[in-house]
Amino acid sequence: MGLFELAAAKMLSSAAMLLFGTVLLMATAKRISTCVYLFACQSAILTAEVVAAGYVQHMREAYIIAGMVLLVKVFAIPFALLWLMKKLRTAHDVGASLSPGYSVFVMSGLIILSFAAVRLYLIELHATEVILAAAVALILNGAFLMVTRSKALMLMMGLLVLENGIFLAALVTTFGMPLIIEIGIVFDLLIGLFLMGIFVFRIRDTFDHLDVSRLRGLRG
Amino acid sequence: MIGLLLILFLSSLLFLAVFAGLAGQGRWTRAFVPGFLICSLLLGLGIAGSCFLNGRTINLDYSGHLPFALGLSMDRLSGFFLLLICGLGIPVALFSASYAEHYTRANWKWYWSLVALFILSMVLVVVASTIFAFMVGWELMTLLSAGLILIEGDGEDRRRSLFLYLVMMHAGAAAVFASFLLFVPYAPALTLAAMRAAAGSLPAHLRVVIFLLSFAGFGMKAGLVPLHFWLPKAHGIAPSPVSALMSAVMLKIAIYGFIRLTFDILGTPQIWWGYLIVVVGIVTAVLGILYALAEHTLKRLLAYSSVENIGLIFVALGLALIFEARGLPILAALSLTAALFHTLNHALFKGLLFLGAGAVKHTTGTLDIEELGGLLPRLPGIGISFLIGCAAIAGLPLLNGFVSEWLIFKSLLHGSVLEPDPAVPLLIGAVALTSALACACFVKLYGITFLGRPRSDAAKYVVAAPENMNLALVMIAAACILFGVHPGVALHPLSVLAGTMIPNPTSPPEIASISRMMPLVAAAIALLVIVVLLLRKPASRSVNTWACGLPGLTGRMQYTATSFSKPLRSVFAAVYRPERKMDLEPPDEPYFPVNISYRSVRTTSFEKTLYRPIVDGVVAVARQLRRLHTGNIQTYLLYIFLVILSLLVVLRFA
Amino acid sequence: MMGFVINIVQMLLLVLAAPLLRGIISKLKAWIQKRQGASVWRPYANLWKLFHKEELVPNTATLIFRSAPVVAFAATVVAAAFLPVLHPAAFLTLDGDIFLFVYLLAIGRFAMSLGALDGGSSFGGMGSSREALVAALAEAPLFLVLTALAILARTGSLSEIAAWTIRQNFFDVSTVHLLALAALAIVAVAETGRIPVDNPTTHLELTMIHEAMVLEYSGPSLALIEWSQAIKLNLLATLMIGLFAPWGMSLTVTPLGLAAALGTYALKLACLVIGLAVVESSVAKLRMYAVPDFLRVASALAILAVIFTAITKR
Repeated sequence: MGLFELAAAKMLSSAAMLLFGTVLLMATAKRISTCVYLFACQSAILTAEVVAAGYVQHMREAYIIAGMVLLVKVFAIPFALLWLMKKLRTAHDVGASLSPGYSVFVMSGLIILSFAAVRLYLIELHATEVILAAAVALILNGAFLMVTRSKALMLMMGLLVLENGIFLAALVTTFGMPLIIEIGIVFDLLIGLFLMGIFVFRIRDTFDHLDVSRLRGLRG
Repeated sequence: MIGLLLILFLSSLLFLAVFAGLAGQGRWTRAFVPGFLICSLLLGLGIAGSCFLNGRTINLDYSGHLPFALGLSMDRLSGFFLLLICGLGIPVALFSASYAEHYTRANWKWYWSLVALFILSMVLVVVASTIFAFMVGWELMTLLSAGLILIEGDGEDRRRSLFLYLVMMHAGAAAVFASFLLFVPYAPALTLAAMRAAAGSLPAHLRVVIFLLSFAGFGMKAGLVPLHFWLPKAHGIAPSPVSALMSAVMLKIAIYGFIRLTFDILGTPQIWWGYLIVVVGIVTAVLGILYALAEHTLKRLLAYSSVENIGLIFVALGLALIFEARGLPILAALSLTAALFHTLNHALFKGLLFLGAGAVKHTTGTLDIEELGGLLPRLPGIGISFLIGCAAIAGLPLLNGFVSEWLIFKSLLHGSVLEPDPAVPLLIGAVALTSALACACFVKLYGITFLGRPRSDAAKYVVAAPENMNLALVMIAAACILFGVHPGVALHPLSVLAGTMIPNPTSPPEIASISRMMPLVAAAIALLVIVVLLLRKPASRSVNTWACGLPGLTGRMQYTATSFSKPLRSVFAAVYRPERKMDLEPPDEPYFPVNISYRSVRTTSFEKTLYRPIVDGVVAVARQLRRLHTGNIQTYLLYIFLVILSLLVVLRFA
Repeated sequence: MMGFVINIVQMLLLVLAAPLLRGIISKLKAWIQKRQGASVWRPYANLWKLFHKEELVPNTATLIFRSAPVVAFAATVVAAAFLPVLHPAAFLTLDGDIFLFVYLLAIGRFAMSLGALDGGSSFGGMGSSREALVAALAEAPLFLVLTALAILARTGSLSEIAAWTIRQNFFDVSTVHLLALAALAIVAVAETGRIPVDNPTTHLELTMIHEAMVLEYSGPSLALIEWSQAIKLNLLATLMIGLFAPWGMSLTVTPLGLAAALGTYALKLACLVIGLAVVESSVAKLRMYAVPDFLRVASALAILAVIFTAITKR
């Protein structure tokens, strides 16, 4: 019993670290598929976090949420993305407009920034600093990925990372949103992915590539 | 008694300057002048040693007998810097005895009398006790070194570099002088002692202004970024022994001035002073070594590396200020000791390397390292000493550079453990980057210049180096090894000196621990080397270098300095901003050009973007001012009249 | 007295077992690639053979060429004296030996780079230029990692850091440790010239780093170089163990404790070695100009680690 509790508490505090790891690795990734795997890892860590939080807080519905996250974010979305990539048969590089080496520096800067920013609100929110900072860092880094990667699929990846951040922030500040809202968000994501998939196909069919930076030609 | 010796020392230098200028050119004179200089420097060394090691003080004041305020005083700090001047002066004099031989008669005279006066001016700065004497020495130092630069020709390029040097130095001197003058309302006289006594009564904002002015002024002389622009130009064109004096000693005089004013006279610093200095210092260090890495002229490379080392010294000085302001005297003493020891070490190995560069120039006739190669077997004495200098400046253990870098790291580590903010530990990374780049830079310098095959005839047919040159270099190399293997010799007196600058510290424990550790490590490495050498089969067979099975490997097939530094230059391209330009003629036929011209610049210095607006601004202001110059004498008289009138008005109402 | 003997034993262990470690790695790699592989004792036989061979020296070479391997070897062995292996104390310790340790390894690199340039061929220059690149970019993260741990343990000595870490709870591995470990792993790979930075078994001149540097060497000199490389690998592996997972080192000098310490040390080393073998068999060597990016990741991680010491300390 004691050991489980300890492990759960440890999980809660050190998972943030692993999340940073996945995000930084995403910055260095050169292929979209690597990013997808890393996203799956990140979501798995998130699942573990939800389970740990549920255990510590004695909340039954947390397990349901965890199951859904596992199903959707660890399996469904990554599989869908990998399938998309196979179908699309376009170049696999992420289309980085900032070299991986520098991206890592910027992303670490964002992590530090999120720590600095979160500290002000800690007492109000009654949250653990590291996890809340990790959540903010995920949001910022997701946005950063969207800004610096020009492939349409990478924009999706950025969005998914950002969403993971929001999910984590909600988890630590409210210790679980109402179940129905969680379900809503997850389905939102699925629909988003679905729409994005359709778009990606349309872009590829029209332009033969997925580089959104080259959509500038549409400006007329 | 010792005061009289000091006077004797100063007047012997003065006598030598006059004598060298007037005397004939017999063999006797040629031997006498360097010999006499060495003897008088030995006298200076004795005085310096007794002040630095035994803490004797000298206080001479002739202000009463003279129309101007001339006073001389010496304590441990001036003793240490006098030790640097004389200690480096001796090998430089020895080296110059051979180096100056190729000068014409007139130049020979000028050279020696200016060198004697140059040394005299530096000594005067260090031993001055009045601001008058200090500033006279300070200005002479600049002018005399400029004169020495002119001995080796005065082409358009040199004049331009020299002009820049003089302008920057006078701006610096103005800042220094202004910082002294701010003491006037509070100190009864402009002497160091009176200023020290008055420092406590200075208002806080004035202290800040004094500090900033002195930092700018001394920093300019020391070559801190962004005020370092003149340094590689001036040090690159001076005669090599003079470059050695300028880089190894003259820059340190600026450090002396800074320590004297900030630590000794002002005291009780504020924390942000320290941070300011540390940040400027680390930027200087990193940029200095990056530019050194891209530089392929021997002396300019060394000059940029001086910029780097000055940066490191200022990092340590800034840390000392931070610790002092935080009320941690032991750590402050540690950092100050590190700064002083690095000052000493840099004087040694940079003097050695500049003299080595002089020897290379003397024997091959070129300083471009792309033309050199394979010099070690041709100049063994110089090659080995130069290797020791390179290893020392790269900070390798068993040589002196390591010990001071270790002390700097250690004070940074102390700072990181104590400081709540993470900026200080990040400095460790920056200093580590600097030292790793220095390592790469000096591998390049030594490997391309002294090893492999000669890349040109200049490097192939080398005249033997004169014995004097070998001896001068070996002397300094021996000192590098001594301070590296047994740093306690220098560290203990230096920590006593640091103790006099910072109120009530006890000697930091690091000084004893590193002094104990280095001989052990040296013994262990020496033992292992001997064992391996004894066990290894001595025989070897000389064969042709592997050339993929083809014959005819030539010197031009080796890696050059450009190719060696290429990977690092491309990584740091954001700093260097290289320019490449390829022109095809005629431009409309890219596949069948008549003429292709390709031009590449390895570095475009960032100073251009930094200084250009300033220069443009000054020129624009000057244009406006020119309107005042009508050329009509009545107008000028009107100006004078108006100025007098306005002064009267100001005096009346102020 | 007993402690002194142990200190010497652990230093000799680092030096003498180094070739074995190399042998084990290549055996593991062979197994992963479904090959039989050479015996794990092969590196010793190789050293023996090289030590007894005639040495060929390029005709442009000076005394630097033959003394460089000796100096590199001596400096590497002395660096081994600073590492705690079986108990949290080393043969030589100094408050601040983290810096001395790194600089001792730098001696070897400096000497070998000069030795390579002394050969007078472009391969040597190529190797030492690339080595300079890798070393210059790896040094800063290495120092930062060591600094981060030194700040946590509030001491600058490797042995003291290990001793401090042992006193901590195994579950209390902080974020700093994880970040620093990741950074050190990258640096260690770069410093020892393993895949993905450099390939120690390559025979293609254009992609080599360390192997290009030693291309001209043969006989006893080559043996010394190979041995020092093996020791360096062992040193960095032991450094990782000592800094991040020293649990199991015996705090008291008893035969049983020491045997247990040796066992756990071997186990931890085995984990690292298996990890390295898996990475080397599954990852391709990076292009030369992708290496700086790889090392920048290490720098970023190390900077984060250092900044986290301030955040977690508060």
